[in-house]
Amino acid sequence: MSHSPQKELVTGAIWYEPGADIPDVEQKLYALQNQCTDCNVCEVACSLVHSPDGIVNPLLARLKVNHAPQVGRRAPAHGFGFAADICHHCGNPPPCAEVCPADAFYYDPQTRVAVIAQDKCIQCMECVPGCPFDVIFVAPDGELLKCDLCGGEPACVEACATRPELANAGKQYNRVPVLFHADSATYRAVLQDKPEPRDEVGMMQAMLEKGMVSSAA
Amino acid sequence: MESRLLHVNLSTGELRIEQLSHAIFERWIGGSGINNWIMWEHFLKHDVNCDPRSPDNIFVFGVGPLAGTGSGSGIKGRITFKSPCYGIFGDSAAGGKFPYMVRFAGFDHIAVTGKAPRPVYLYLCDGQAEIRDASHLWGKNTAETHAALNAELGDYPSHVHTLTISQAGENQVGIAAVVSDASRIHARGGGGCVMGSKNLKAIAVQGSGGVRVANPKGMLEWSRGFRASIDKNEAIYGFKRRGTLGAVEMYQHIGSHFWRNNQGNMFRGDEIRSDNWVKKYHKYSEVCSADCFIACDGRYKIDGTESEKAKKYVGETFRRPEYLTTGSAAGALDIRDWAEVAHWGKITNDYGIDNQDLSCSISFVMELHQHGLLSERDIAELFDRPQSLEWGNMEDIEALIEDIVFRRNLFGELFNDGPYWGALRYSQRTGRNFMKYSIYGKGGASFTEEMRPFPTWMNNMAVASRGADHLKGIGLIEKFQRRDLSKRYFGRLEAADLSTPVLKGACTAVVENQVALLNSYGVCLFHWMLDPAGYAPEEYYGRAFAEVTGIDRSPEELMRDGERICNLEKAFNSRLGLRREHDTICERWMFEPTTEGMYPGKVAADMFDTVLDEYYEWRGWDKASGLQTASRLESLGLGDVAEVLAADGALVRA
Repeated sequence: MSHSPQKELVTGAIWYEPGADIPDVEQKLYALQNQCTDCNVCEVACSLVHSPDGIVNPLLARLKVNHAPQVGRRAPAHGFGFAADICHHCGNPPPCAEVCPADAFYYDPQTRVAVIAQDKCIQCMECVPGCPFDVIFVAPDGELLKCDLCGGEPACVEACATRPELANAGKQYNRVPVLFHADSATYRAVLQDKPEPRDEVGMMQAMLEKGMVSSAA
Repeated sequence: MESRLLHVNLSTGELRIEQLSHAIFERWIGGSGINNWIMWEHFLKHDVNCDPRSPDNIFVFGVGPLAGTGSGSGIKGRITFKSPCYGIFGDSAAGGKFPYMVRFAGFDHIAVTGKAPRPVYLYLCDGQAEIRDASHLWGKNTAETHAALNAELGDYPSHVHTLTISQAGENQVGIAAVVSDASRIHARGGGGCVMGSKNLKAIAVQGSGGVRVANPKGMLEWSRGFRASIDKNEAIYGFKRRGTLGAVEMYQHIGSHFWRNNQGNMFRGDEIRSDNWVKKYHKYSEVCSADCFIACDGRYKIDGTESEKAKKYVGETFRRPEYLTTGSAAGALDIRDWAEVAHWGKITNDYGIDNQDLSCSISFVMELHQHGLLSERDIAELFDRPQSLEWGNMEDIEALIEDIVFRRNLFGELFNDGPYWGALRYSQRTGRNFMKYSIYGKGGASFTEEMRPFPTWMNNMAVASRGADHLKGIGLIEKFQRRDLSKRYFGRLEAADLSTPVLKGACTAVVENQVALLNSYGVCLFHWMLDPAGYAPEEYYGRAFAEVTGIDRSPEELMRDGERICNLEKAFNSRLGLRREHDTICERWMFEPTTEGMYPGKVAADMFDTVLDEYYEWRGWDKASGLQTASRLESLGLGDVAEVLAADGALVRA
């Protein structure tokens, strides 16, 4: 696999040597459009794991629930939809890092994704429009927020409220996970895996069926 | 635990922020517990017997400590006030993102007193509060008010979330509700009327602050475990799409609906089933509040192909009807088309009015008409126009809703406080006794589910502090016949057995304590009901409460905390003069036998007194008067409350 020449993204003692090729990140974050339930759990979990003082604040999250994703994207016929706007951890180098005048981006040796060194960041916000997916956010205090994959196990993916369906590989009741952290082949495989036809039961019917409610008078 | 209470005096325009002490959380947990305490203290300085529509009444909003902390158990805001329609303790919960945002704006509780000289709205943003002119919003319904506030305030520093009233609240209709984010409704008790009486049109909030969690690692760990236990439960998958509508089939099976003013207990026709809803109407699943792993709410959009009647509503879109929206429309009023049921849900929300009391008021006059008890002259007097009163006729129903919302004729005036007061006033006016056609429980509050075969529910309707209601002591152990839970809580199986009154009152007492805890944590009740390991807020949620607040309690202590909260609500009602005879239900439920369903021939009177006695016994209250005892209150650490009650002659020295 060939790679484009790298801009120097590196600070300090990390694995990447200037001039060397950086391997593409295999595992990426994916978010399904118009499947999200707007529960905000991903935002809450993200802000909590990134806060040294245990502060929950959705405006400090490194992703956002987009309330009008249908605009300009694949819109469902009924017009409803939400989506988590989330860093795609794209290419090598990522466009956000390319536009940075302070060389504040570096590759994390553990997760192999580009992250922002806050001590080098001059808060010029060049990276915000530089991101093609609008997923670099500005905190109320001006800090630039970019997804760092939580050391490899993203809290948002774990917290995503459609998790039960993820555990069942997208087969249950036509509902599929909204957030993925996977390689593209796995992501496509899950999406292409057709849901099993299965009757959906409400809470009370499930109880009836399990005999938790007797039908004897 | 840090928490801030905003005092708003609309008469003087004074705004004061009070830092709530840690001790108040240790005593009252948060959410509804602290709301109750704020109201209790208010009425130590103001006349508790005041007119609920007067400036002396208080309107408290509160969120719980678990709200927005990543617990995944939903967020419910709670409003607490003296109810204008029932005249007793009033409170009501709802979702929406308003409560979530109130916390990020830096507040946990808001206490509004007095009366503004002109219409105002309250604006909160990042620790600041402001009273603003609302004359441009007056006369708008809840959806229009929400949209206008969104346009006015913009998207910085965060989305705008609102609590609004409609014309019903402005007109001080007793059963007017408060609507959160134009879609989730604080329906019970008439909070909208209290806001209207204070000239408070709305509360709007934006926030960019944060909420501190005492032990973030522990909280993340807890929510991981909670999610896993929810994911294991198969019933959740269906619940995610159908929500409470899943009850329709089950209730049809056991005969627990409320049909035509409870003349029956089964829906007629095959259309009103949750299957049909999901197939024809359901378009999108989403949460009602925030921070919720279930997301049982959803959206519909009518395209006109669903049914003949749906053609009238092409393009209409709103949230999915909940079970009680359906129970009131398809049941009480016998509407047999989903599009019309959905439309009923939308207009009662836009008009911000409680659909339980509203539907029972309408079904009351419809039943009088059905029995030929209303002459043409009576109808002309009631409605100022010729009015057909046909079951299930949506045009008639819409006209009657507007009569009440705008109080535009005698019917609207008489029934603005719901079916009990409406029936009583109409009976007094005509000199004929129509009370047996009015469906109500404690306080005159009505409820559109069948009670008679279900002793715990019947008991809930008679004792709930905010008037007849299922959300204070949910009798699910009995209705779902959960023998496992009966065994766990009482060591015996009878609580799950419908045929005996044994343990039914006990069940109400225990579950009321649990629900009081959950309401004080500020979370949704569905996660608790659906989680098979759950059903024990004192153990399971108690851990989350400890991670967030640092207040680590044993399950026994937490149950005592729940009991303390219930006792404060009871004490408030005792101060108003409520005694055993007020813990009662209507004539139809009490004496008229059921005629259909799985349990025909049942009347509540068979078990009513036995169950009520047992409830008082478990509560440690005096059976004869229904009053609290000094010894029980003191054992709960409520000696100060006992003193107040003693001064009011509302305490039994035992």
